[in-house]
Amino acid sequence: MSWTNNRAGRLVSGLAPLLLPYLVLFCGGVMLTICQSFGVFTPLPHAGDALDAYTKILTDPAFFTSFGFSLWVAMVSAFCAVAAGTFLAYRVWQLPAKLANAALIYKIPLILPHISVAFVVLVFWSPSGILAAMAHSLGIIQTMYEFPNILYSGWGLGMVLAYTLKGTPFAMLLVLALLMRFDVRQIQTAAMLGASGMRIFFSIVLPRMAPAMHTSFIILFLYGFGAFDIPFILGESRPGMLSIHVYNLYFKHDLARRPEAMAILTMMFFFAVIFIIAYSKTVQRLENGVRKL
Amino acid sequence: MDLAVRSVSKRYKNHTIIEDISFDVGPRELVSIVGPSGVGKTTLLKIIAGIDTPDTGRVIYSEPLSKKHPVIIVFQDYVLFPSMTVKDNIGFGLKARHMKKRPITEQVERMLAYFQLTRQADQYPAQLSAGQKQRVAIARAMIVNPAVLLLDEPFANLDRNLKMETARFIRSTQQEFGIPTISVTHDLEEAFAMSDRIGVLLNRRLQQFDTPRQVYFNSVSKKVAQFLGPVNLIPERYLSFFRGSPDTAVPVSGNPGNPVMARPENLVMTEDANGPGRITDKTFAGHYTVYNVAIENHSYTVYSQDDRFPVGGRVTLQITPY
Repeated sequence: MSWTNNRAGRLVSGLAPLLLPYLVLFCGGVMLTICQSFGVFTPLPHAGDALDAYTKILTDPAFFTSFGFSLWVAMVSAFCAVAAGTFLAYRVWQLPAKLANAALIYKIPLILPHISVAFVVLVFWSPSGILAAMAHSLGIIQTMYEFPNILYSGWGLGMVLAYTLKGTPFAMLLVLALLMRFDVRQIQTAAMLGASGMRIFFSIVLPRMAPAMHTSFIILFLYGFGAFDIPFILGESRPGMLSIHVYNLYFKHDLARRPEAMAILTMMFFFAVIFIIAYSKTVQRLENGVRKL
Repeated sequence: MDLAVRSVSKRYKNHTIIEDISFDVGPRELVSIVGPSGVGKTTLLKIIAGIDTPDTGRVIYSEPLSKKHPVIIVFQDYVLFPSMTVKDNIGFGLKARHMKKRPITEQVERMLAYFQLTRQADQYPAQLSAGQKQRVAIARAMIVNPAVLLLDEPFANLDRNLKMETARFIRSTQQEFGIPTISVTHDLEEAFAMSDRIGVLLNRRLQQFDTPRQVYFNSVSKKVAQFLGPVNLIPERYLSFFRGSPDTAVPVSGNPGNPVMARPENLVMTEDANGPGRITDKTFAGHYTVYNVAIENHSYTVYSQDDRFPVGGRVTLQITPY
């Protein structure tokens, strides 16, 4: 018994440098957010009910519009990034070794901050941007302002573009890491058995890449759902992203509304947890429980 | 369908892997190419399959290969598709041919029954034993009626006691389906047991290509003979010490003057107080006993099922043909 206790004690003390910051910063932060959403530990004494903030938010149609819009932007951008990243990773993997090394330039957007990518999108796609200028120079449009308003069309396409640009190399990185360990003889065997390139890709290669695709989708989706920087540059006021809604409630209103901001953050946190569980279970069911995500 | 390999050579980075390889495989024939690891057996197999190209020479098929009748390799580690069940693995080739669901199901079920895999039909490769994986891989190849089946080290991942059983199974399956088959292996006993003809690949070249019996008992060179198992080389001047030698002794490479080659199982030992041989050592090896017999200053290995000869006893050796 004492041996077990000693062992557990040593394990805990060994992990302490990691566990302590996690407990204090992450768990402490989440707990404080939850408490403040119920009006506890708020900067101003909370006078109403514990669930006041939640009631206000859940009866506000703007919240649901923002929630739906955030979901849409995160979903579409994560899907596009994973699809593009997977396709490009497969093509890079098929390149001869020398060209594959040159293709490492795909990692450049990875080192760019999100805010820089937002400006890249702005510079290229705005009505006064590079693409509009090129279209004008080529005579495709008469004036630069005829260039379609892609960034602020009401569909969040600017944000989708930026997240896709930033997320594609990330998905590529994860998928390529799996492909590097992929046995090329599986493709040779499938080809010998008469499979076409399409069948080989969808039946043999895609299932192999699936774990990296699912993981990158979850990460990119949740980042896109909650991130602030890109929506701050490329977002629209209506519908707005949830992160901007939280920012406004936290910084631009009086302190009494801080529980509402915290309630939204709490709901976003639990949504993320539920999303990961639901996604993992769905994938596991689709793959007949062979593999855990 | 039969095929001919003609003067095939392959180099990688100025290093010759195989050189001037030629042999034929007849319809319904099972041929094994044996040789030590790294001698280029798998390279040869990949060239025959068309996965690799020879630097010189070619592989000639009696009928042109097609998607309907391809050459299929069963790799050493089987390369099953991990995300598919056993039945999906086996049916993959038929699906690739856009066959309808019902005939696919029927054919897959027949294969599952023949290869004794019915109980594993819905399992994934990770859940199978090595022997089961191999049967799935062979079934997956056989179901598309290949022009030629190529087996890369079919016994490499099997337990010792499963190897001979698998060799017999491969032989009976190959006979049942009538598909010309080439196997490359370094498992000699299994190759002897299942093959119609055997090629010995040593030092980049095919040294001998003949029936198993001929290759084993009438090896063309000392190297081939020694690769295939223990062999006694009896100098011509010592032949007089062996009984029965004038009719049965065959000198190496058929050249008079060369030592005579005799496998341990070619030598029969009889107790003889005045015999020229003396037993210097004996080792129990299960279903036979290995004796070392000294005649003059030469030592000979003899396999005998008789364990009663004592160390130090005098004996006479006789060369018997197989």
